[in-house]
Amino acid sequence: MKVTLISIPVRDQEKALRFYTEKLGFIKKKDKPLDGGNRWLTLVSKEAQDGPEVLLEPAPNHFEPSKIYQDALMEAGIPYTQFDVDNVDFEYERLIKLGVKFSVKPSTMGTTKYAVFNDTCGNNIEIVEEL
Amino acid sequence: MTFYEKEINRINDIIYSNQEQIKTVIEIRSYIDNNYNSDLNLDLLSHFHFVSKYHLLRLFKKHYGLTPRQYLIDKRIEKSKEQLIKGTSVTETCFIVGFESLGSFSTLFKTKTGKSPTRFQKEQLSRSKLHSEF
Repeated sequence: MKVTLISIPVRDQEKALRFYTEKLGFIKKKDKPLDGGNRWLTLVSKEAQDGPEVLLEPAPNHFEPSKIYQDALMEAGIPYTQFDVDNVDFEYERLIKLGVKFSVKPSTMGTTKYAVFNDTCGNNIEIVEEL
Repeated sequence: MTFYEKEINRINDIIYSNQEQIKTVIEIRSYIDNNYNSDLNLDLLSHFHFVSKYHLLRLFKKHYGLTPRQYLIDKRIEKSKEQLIKGTSVTETCFIVGFESLGSFSTLFKTKTGKSPTRFQKEQLSRSKLHSEF
């Protein structure tokens, strides 16, 4: 078995695609039409294009518990997904300039530096740098 | 303050109160990052930081979840990929990143990445060729 995919629940796939590619810098990998306007939509990191894919899945629109869970995580400020970056401060400055909203500014915990932002699609996302 | 921030602060106070300790392990990791290609061993590392070898091993594992040796191997494999992609030969790569025997390098590389260094390099090179021809 291999790990090749992680899922991120999103309310609007097209909006999510724009945010994740234009602001975060991911690259679209697969885009297959599914039933009812839904898509199998995956992204890869620019630096590791043969690495794991991120699936932007419209689960909250079709499965109520997914929506409830997503809302509860958002309310509690909990990031369910995290991405590694080389430099949290640098990414923070870069994303702030692009209008991204952070709920946690760059902070340190032990040997980890982290920050949390809103992906505008229903999720808190954490960026992490190992010190 | 959100639930998340409260929890993070609470855990931070319990687990990461010893700033000196954190500073030491961060320095050790950064030392490995900068000297991964030389003959590193725990005696040397503990000597630099005036701590016992076993204490250092425990500290590193506690903070990074890996032993220094495991961390070093991962670092060398990551660097060897960069070399192979650049077109450096397998033998040269092996010594550039600090492994002492070609056999152990190939075995470790295969275990960690699922491919032999030769196969990995071939795939990378044929991929870059494909881009221009396809």
